[in-house]
Amino acid sequence: MPDGEAIVASGLVRQFRKGPRAVDGIDLSVSYGEIYGFLGPNGAGKSTTVHMLTTLLPPTSGQASVAGFDIVHQGRQVRTVIGAALQEAALDPILTGREHLLLQATLQGLPKPKRVQRADELLTRVGLTEAADRRISGYSGGMKRRLDLALALVHGPRILFLDEPTTGLDLQSRTALWEEVARLAREEGITVFLTTQYLEEADALAHRVGIIDHGHIVAEDTPERLKAEIGSPTVEVVPVEHDQAELLRGTLEQFGTPVSADGTVTVQLPGGEAQLAELVRALDAASLHVASLTLHQPTLDDVFLAKTGRKLEGAADEEPEEAPADGGKRGRRGR
Amino acid sequence: MRRFAFVVRGVAWRSIHNTIVSPSIIIPSIVFPLFFFAAFAGGLSKIAQVPNFDYKPGYTAFQFTFVFLQSAAFGGVFTGFAVARDFDSGFARRLLLSAPARGGIIVGYVIGALLRWGITGSVVTVVALASGMNVPAGPGDLFALLALGVLFNLVAALWAVGLAMFLRTEQAGAVIQMPVFVVLFLAPVYVPLHLLTGWVHSVARLNPATFALEAARGLLAGTPTDIALAFGLLGGSIVLWAAFARRGLRSAERAAG
Repeated sequence: MPDGEAIVASGLVRQFRKGPRAVDGIDLSVSYGEIYGFLGPNGAGKSTTVHMLTTLLPPTSGQASVAGFDIVHQGRQVRTVIGAALQEAALDPILTGREHLLLQATLQGLPKPKRVQRADELLTRVGLTEAADRRISGYSGGMKRRLDLALALVHGPRILFLDEPTTGLDLQSRTALWEEVARLAREEGITVFLTTQYLEEADALAHRVGIIDHGHIVAEDTPERLKAEIGSPTVEVVPVEHDQAELLRGTLEQFGTPVSADGTVTVQLPGGEAQLAELVRALDAASLHVASLTLHQPTLDDVFLAKTGRKLEGAADEEPEEAPADGGKRGRRGR
Repeated sequence: MRRFAFVVRGVAWRSIHNTIVSPSIIIPSIVFPLFFFAAFAGGLSKIAQVPNFDYKPGYTAFQFTFVFLQSAAFGGVFTGFAVARDFDSGFARRLLLSAPARGGIIVGYVIGALLRWGITGSVVTVVALASGMNVPAGPGDLFALLALGVLFNLVAALWAVGLAMFLRTEQAGAVIQMPVFVVLFLAPVYVPLHLLTGWVHSVARLNPATFALEAARGLLAGTPTDIALAFGLLGGSIVLWAAFARRGLRSAERAAG
């Protein structure tokens, strides 16, 4: 593993012409081999941050380095060590999947035998061997995403940027992509910087999560710590007999203040999930038969709510979308 | 330098690959100059009988030189359209992200334009020869004529690629094409320069394209005139428009593609 951090940013700012500060003084530090999840609603500044870190967009102020290379003054070196799959998998409809990989490998300076070998290898890995020689115009959205990931990996990058990689994918494709990303970090030691607006994605994949809102990082830690910071888990208990709801309520009072609704009694466990066994013993002692018992951990949505006062779902509807990078020429990015 | 060469190779490969495999790209590049050649050399052939029309190889050869240079220029212009299309589709962003040496993107597109013109220029030449064009020029003159065409193509390609990088939308097509069209048609297209009168003559006399066209006609006739001036002007234009294209790339870099 190389010395230092894979990604470091300090006071990173990007202000668009006649627009707001899309990124407003971000400080970041991502270790080698880490999967860092950048979570936030649309327009929060996630993609703009990725564009700066991948040298697509110069910062207005602040500094950042990727693999030890300055993103402004050593862009060429940065681009040789990173791979990136951006939000829109911009592919050439005239080229086939294999031709895309060969082109990408040429751009990255791989010698010809290696180009062919690497293309075959990646096509197999992302399950596109059969479609390899078909033009992209005939690919589904999921196939394009998989090809995009393969393109990002063609030159064996040390750091991978994935900008909302699963947006628009069905559940099966999403799960497959998650598994591949986790494998890349686990087996190949690739550092992954992943932006997402899906809580479960950040929760499932990321070693650490940064929550971004209005261009600021409002919270950053492991998903577990972030959730633990918010509060303790809750337990939902449904008795077999509805008339036992009151008895159940009384039994659960020793743990906190139970709340009843629709035959379900919910109580917060101040001592965390370690108290679950104690709760089960209390139910048994009271001879209560339960139809279901569910432990609810705090979610990242609860964290987002606590830090911003809004739910992540629908937060994008309340704020202007990210200004286009060229000062307003292109259309607004849809969700 | 090695990385630069790989970027050039990748971008040029894609440019020429798409030109060959996609009829919608290659057909207009071929049809345009052939249409002009058929319309001018065929339909206006009586111009050769105008008093003081003194181009010895005849009107077909006179028109061929124009269409030859026009196809070279349009090879560059159509490449500019392709660049603008790449920005609209987001593919240009992929190139900016994937190319360690971004200057290679410009050179790759320009070489793609040259290879594209290689196809159209060959077709135009074969059609002109098949229609009985008289070629008094020696091998050296023909080689110089080819070199003139190459430089003309490079000038147009650098202009078109640079402007496409500044504007970054397919809607820029007219803005890319119009100045090239105007410059070409304000040269002595139908009759020799000395037969033009009024403002058209005044403009044509100062038009840089006139120097290239007159030099090309002299070379094809085997009587080269003002060759150094034409090559010098084209060389200077290449330096100018290469700097322009470089600034276009910088502008695209600032705007995240």
